[in-house]
Amino acid sequence: MDNFEFLRNVTIGQYFAGHSVIHRLDPRAKITLVMMLVIANGFLFSYSGNLILLTICCAAVLTSGISFRFMLSGIKPALPFIAFLAVMQLFFSGRSYRPFGAPLQIYWEWGVLAVSNGSLELVIITFMRFLEIFLLVSLLTGTTTITDLTYAIEDMLRPFQRLGVPAYEISLIGTLALRFVPIFAEQLEIIMKAQAARGADFAGWGPFQFVKITRQLARLIVPLFVDAFRRAEDLILAMEARCYTGGRGRTHLARFRMTRLDRALLAVMAAFVVTLLYFRNQLWF
Amino acid sequence: MDERQRLFAQVNDLHHTYLRGTPLETVALRGVSMQIRTGEAVGIIGRTGAGKSTLIQHFNGLLRPRQPGRVIIEGQDMSDPTLDVRALRQRVGLVFQRPEQQLFERLVGDDIAFGLKQLGLPADERRARVRWAMELVGLDFDRFRNRFTFSLSGGEMRRVALAGVLALRPRVLILDEATSGIDPRGRRELLTHIAEWRQQSEVTLIIVSTNMDEIAELVERIYVLDDGRVVLCGTPRQLFADPVVLRQYGLKVPQVSALVHRLSELGVTMPRVPITIAEAADDVWTILNS
Repeated sequence: MDNFEFLRNVTIGQYFAGHSVIHRLDPRAKITLVMMLVIANGFLFSYSGNLILLTICCAAVLTSGISFRFMLSGIKPALPFIAFLAVMQLFFSGRSYRPFGAPLQIYWEWGVLAVSNGSLELVIITFMRFLEIFLLVSLLTGTTTITDLTYAIEDMLRPFQRLGVPAYEISLIGTLALRFVPIFAEQLEIIMKAQAARGADFAGWGPFQFVKITRQLARLIVPLFVDAFRRAEDLILAMEARCYTGGRGRTHLARFRMTRLDRALLAVMAAFVVTLLYFRNQLWF
Repeated sequence: MDERQRLFAQVNDLHHTYLRGTPLETVALRGVSMQIRTGEAVGIIGRTGAGKSTLIQHFNGLLRPRQPGRVIIEGQDMSDPTLDVRALRQRVGLVFQRPEQQLFERLVGDDIAFGLKQLGLPADERRARVRWAMELVGLDFDRFRNRFTFSLSGGEMRRVALAGVLALRPRVLILDEATSGIDPRGRRELLTHIAEWRQQSEVTLIIVSTNMDEIAELVERIYVLDDGRVVLCGTPRQLFADPVVLRQYGLKVPQVSALVHRLSELGVTMPRVPITIAEAADDVWTILNS
């Protein structure tokens, strides 16, 4: 049975109103916290280290009150791709990847292919790291309105303005990109329905019908792009009509203020991440 | 022919929720039941957000019913996952709202021929049908065939979208606000063409609209939807007899019917509630002469 509801699969970039502690954190603090965790994620290659990070992410999601099932459902469409990468890693990095704190042990090999405890570990760790990043980003966009996110990014980039960084423009581009994800999902749904209503077949995609799939995708992507350009033009007109001149001299109605909780959380997280990274090679397993 | 086959659609207690199971879920239908006979012309009206578009997408299998709702189209249960919806969609033509979002081919002719190509029809047959459909909606074949779809005006796009469905020669035609964005004269022409074609080929016609004036003349029966439920059902004359009830659902009676209601408030009794201008003119003429 074909299902055209794509919006259901777009969890990144979707905001869910709520009143949890995480919703109420200063957006600048939230971005910084996420950045710290992402950095930690980039340096941890052990099971224990990633378990700690994953626990933190899950605890944060629980606190936010957004349902786990829904958040994870966003990964579903990417699963075949992830599985493909996992298989590649499993067979091609058997000899090159050193497992954490244990001698390399090859279980099976044939020509260039090899499966070892190293490649097995790589697959699991990679998936854990992916999950952490996915949860963090979904959580950030899920608990922060796009307006808050923009102003926070703009605020944080302001010190770099003297070096010629266009802070306002960068944050505007980011916001617009996120803002349009659900719109394009909806637009894709409309185009597919219009084609299906006239006899196009989306349900019967066999796994090896590359030519057919490519041809059908082209027929979806072209009108989607045309629509995107049209929307962009409309947006430009709307901005000009409202005398948009960029960010210079512009003030905001609501100003961010860091609370004691924000500061405390930032300090604790910074100390934690530094400690974790310092001892990352002395972890148990 | 048994009773079942003479029904185009039988809908029982249909519910639909968008984005089910997510924090953003919205209920569109809350238990709709209706019957549409084959060959009938039915209007579905209601204010925006009443669930009209959601309902009609069940008629060609773009949306599928969930328990306990049941939708039987031409004797086939739509909840059956093995059902051949492609075959159904070729018989049931659906023209969506917002045509400018539905044209996907580069040239007008290609866009109208898309469905025919999917059917695997030979080129000369396709050409003949495209020409026929374009004439039906009032587009000149030679002038518009090679125009870019994205350079058309809103009204032209709407005609192209309509022609793309008509070219399939569906046995059932569903129009979702199909004439909005066309000027009054073009709209009248288009509806006349559709009515003529309907009489020749006995198609079932389902029109979704918020415009009572155009729906009154074309349909035999009207369903009024409000907040995902069927709240009223009857012939146009029955429904337009009472403007107060319709107003309650955010709808207005056609202008001619409103005129007669106003006249009766002033003490002029008319023999019936007219639903077309011609009827009203007849009645006024009779009263003036008597």
